[in-house]
Amino acid sequence: MPKTERYQNRIELLQGTLDLLILETLRWGPQHGYGISQAIRLNSGEVLQVDTGSLYPALHRLEKQKWISSDWKVSENKQRVKLYRLTAAGKKQLATERSRWQQLLEAMGGILEPKGKESEA
Amino acid sequence: MIVRRKQDKDLEEELQSHLRMAAQDRIDRGESAQDAETAARRELGNAGLIKEVTMEALSGAWFGRLLQDLRYCIRVMRRNPGATVVSVLTLTLGIGASTAIFSVVYGVLLRPLPYEKPEQIVRVWEVSSKGTQMQFADPNFADFRDQNHSLQGLAEFASGLLSVSGGSEPKRLMVATVSADFFPILRVKPVMGRGFAPEDQRFGAAPVVMVSYNYWKQYLGGVKDLSTVKLNVDNRSASVVGVLPPGFRFPDESEVWEPRELEMTLPARDAHNWQGLGRLRDGVTLEQARTDLSAIARQINQRYGRDVDLVTAAVFPLREALTGDVRPRLLLLLAAVGFLLLVGCANIMNLMLAQASAREGELAVRAALGASRPRLIRQFLAETLLLAFFGGVLGVVAAYFGVQALLAAAPPDIPRLSDVAVNVPVLLFAAGLCVVVAVALGVFIAVRATAGDVRSALVEGGRGQAGGPASRRLGGIIAAVQLAVTLVLLVGAGLLGRSLLRALSVDPGFRTEHIITLNLALPSAFQEDQKVQREQFISELFTRLRRLPGIEDVGGTNALPLETGVTSNGTYAVLIPQQLSPATRALMDRSAHGSLEKDPVLMKELIGFLEGIYRDSTHTGYADYVVASEGYFRALGIPLRRGRLFDDRDAFDAPHAALVSESLAHAQWPGQDPIGRMIEFGNMDGDLRLLTVVGVVGDVRERSVEHPPRPTIYVNYRQRPQGTHQFSVVIRSSAAPDAILPEARKIVRELDANVPPSFNTFDRVFAASLNTRRFNLMLVGLFAVAALGLAIAGIYGVLSYSVARRTREMGVRMALGASASNVRGLVLKQAVITALAGVAVGLAGAFALTRMMQSMLFDISVIDPLTYAAVAFLLLLVALMAAYVPARRATKVDPIIALRHE
Repeated sequence: MPKTERYQNRIELLQGTLDLLILETLRWGPQHGYGISQAIRLNSGEVLQVDTGSLYPALHRLEKQKWISSDWKVSENKQRVKLYRLTAAGKKQLATERSRWQQLLEAMGGILEPKGKESEA
Repeated sequence: MIVRRKQDKDLEEELQSHLRMAAQDRIDRGESAQDAETAARRELGNAGLIKEVTMEALSGAWFGRLLQDLRYCIRVMRRNPGATVVSVLTLTLGIGASTAIFSVVYGVLLRPLPYEKPEQIVRVWEVSSKGTQMQFADPNFADFRDQNHSLQGLAEFASGLLSVSGGSEPKRLMVATVSADFFPILRVKPVMGRGFAPEDQRFGAAPVVMVSYNYWKQYLGGVKDLSTVKLNVDNRSASVVGVLPPGFRFPDESEVWEPRELEMTLPARDAHNWQGLGRLRDGVTLEQARTDLSAIARQINQRYGRDVDLVTAAVFPLREALTGDVRPRLLLLLAAVGFLLLVGCANIMNLMLAQASAREGELAVRAALGASRPRLIRQFLAETLLLAFFGGVLGVVAAYFGVQALLAAAPPDIPRLSDVAVNVPVLLFAAGLCVVVAVALGVFIAVRATAGDVRSALVEGGRGQAGGPASRRLGGIIAAVQLAVTLVLLVGAGLLGRSLLRALSVDPGFRTEHIITLNLALPSAFQEDQKVQREQFISELFTRLRRLPGIEDVGGTNALPLETGVTSNGTYAVLIPQQLSPATRALMDRSAHGSLEKDPVLMKELIGFLEGIYRDSTHTGYADYVVASEGYFRALGIPLRRGRLFDDRDAFDAPHAALVSESLAHAQWPGQDPIGRMIEFGNMDGDLRLLTVVGVVGDVRERSVEHPPRPTIYVNYRQRPQGTHQFSVVIRSSAAPDAILPEARKIVRELDANVPPSFNTFDRVFAASLNTRRFNLMLVGLFAVAALGLAIAGIYGVLSYSVARRTREMGVRMALGASASNVRGLVLKQAVITALAGVAVGLAGAFALTRMMQSMLFDISVIDPLTYAAVAFLLLLVALMAAYVPARRATKVDPIIALRHE
């Protein structure tokens, strides 16, 4: 399959981080699916590419959890697009996920760049 | 489904807009329109797959996969049509029979009574020191009603067959006599007219009645204006004031209700004549009501303990009281049918186990291709669910017809049968049963079939786990369990069958052949002129009937065995006339001619006298009180043991004669001659004149052939006609009943057009008295036979399958010199081990479980060795017969072919 080559200079998304990325992207305002994938790509300096096959299931799953809501709008160039927006519950979830991510980062950092002597043990 | 389609369209549009935007971006960056679109499309990937994955996220993954599983199931089932049909039919049998029985259990035992807050309605009884539940005596009832703190109301009621005329034709109807609180307790109001008012509910008030909706429709032509309608009930003209709601027939399927207050109130505390009905106050528990009423009973006992044996009170929910008798029987049937279902499921288990082994290769391939174990388990679950679904649907259809058949065959003593139907709760039960069966079967098979190691299955070329020795052993265990459960059912059926045979062989003390019975409900006759009239009416009836051709004997009684049964019983006293005071003699004479209803002084003296003589227990006893004619004994062949029967000497004003039953004579006058003794039994009919014993007759089992005969005192209808309220004429005739009935009917109509007779033959009465026993036996027997059939099929299947799987082994054995009988022995040995294990477990199970049917057995022990031995032998024999065919097939194995096999 030709698709495989393009995966090579990409970092696989850590499992469970896609939700966080979507929620974070929507924090800046309502966005459609394509816009979300573009925003993630651009903001990560083209490192993170969200596969559409993961994006849409994730969007619908998040919507089912009531963390995001959606409705159909007509865009500037007169096209019907489905816009997703963050709900109150979604904001709360985003905060939780952010702090969990922060914890994970610190934990990872602690292991990869140990400051104490324990690492010798 | 519609929601799903909308979501599908939504998603499609969303992906399309995604594509357009991606393409537009590329065009903006300078790509050609065609390149941009292709690239965008490629970037998006497989839109169909995305949609599917997304939909799964949306609807929960199970739905799409379930459809896939079901499609796959149908393919599997079509590949094995035989096994599928057998499984579905087995489930149809099991679920259908269970559902049919459950509809009866639900309608009779579980369904709430059709009254407001039915759980508050209770039956109340007095309880004697022996623990016997007794009906209320009036003064006790008044105390309970006035002193309790736990009931909203307490009512007395009674019911009986009376002749009712005034409608389109005279009918013998169930008439209920109910006190003031009765309808308020049930919270039932007439749908037409009015209920009983306080002015209707006092002694001496103008008689009024309410009628059932059915009676109003059928016999009153559904008239809208009730003011003109009068009914003649028990020779009393009563205005119809109200029509009760459709379906309301409490108690005892009554058609007419009259105020109890019109009847006289007896001051005796031991005249237990009235049933009690109450409604608990809001928030009061059954237990609190029991405590409350029992305290009142104790107070009564402290004050009047000499006059009444009353120590406590019993309070039961009305529904329990209505159905208490049939409860164990219905639960027995439910258990039996549950066993049948179990045996059926065992067959399906073995069938699926065999199939699973055939599919082992396929399962291994699927597992190797990445199907997870849960996924495979779900696949099996889908299969059993589908089987159970088909079995359930067919089962419910079968249950519908089964219920019709059950209702047609059910004995009339099961209450609330009109409530039995295949209704929503029953359908829910069937659905629940299907799910339970499907999940149990599915999980069992799936866990078995997927337990194996994928690799070994692939290597062995499909001869791994499911077909291996472990699986064969499991099949054997299932077959053994099946035999065990079948054995329990067969033992149950056997015990019921033996009980029926015992009951049929009992000598009831009378004969039933060639006897026509004619039941009459006559008006009460307590006043002297009424008594004379009654005596003449019955005598005239006898005389005219006797003139019909072919008649051998004509007689009558107020207590026909097995039919009306004894309605009165109580304490009698043996007195010596010489010791009686002149005042007592005078009282006796007055009681013969006066009317208790109109003479309260007489009533009081009478009760005082009786209470006096009963206190000395040395010459008292307890007996049934029966009014009869001499022809009654001859017609029914009740033997005269001593003395004489009634005859023409015993005229209306001659000294009153009595016959006593053998058992009474033995108990009261052991080793002495009872003839000439004098008995006081006036508490039965208000006539205190002494009865002289003129003869001893044989014992009669009047309640049922299964109840031992009770001591009985017979009085002569010519002298004591007041007890002939219910009167049964017995006609012994060599002619066919059909030839006599029209004539007999005409004679009754000529004598009193307001007394509709009902006819029967005594043979039928006798057969009907054992209907309950036959019904239970028939059902349990049917289930047992069906289970036996399934178990035979089960053990045959397991052995055949085992032989088929071991063809190669058999071939090797025979190639190495084993004889045919060696090989046959191998298979039979397996059968014998299976059967012995099943029988052993089954015997233990039967031993433990049949105890619960103790109350349904007659004259036989729950561990009746003959039944157990016969059933065990039968099962062993049947198992060996089922094994014979596969065993023979094993010997026919050609070693060469067998070794090439597979």
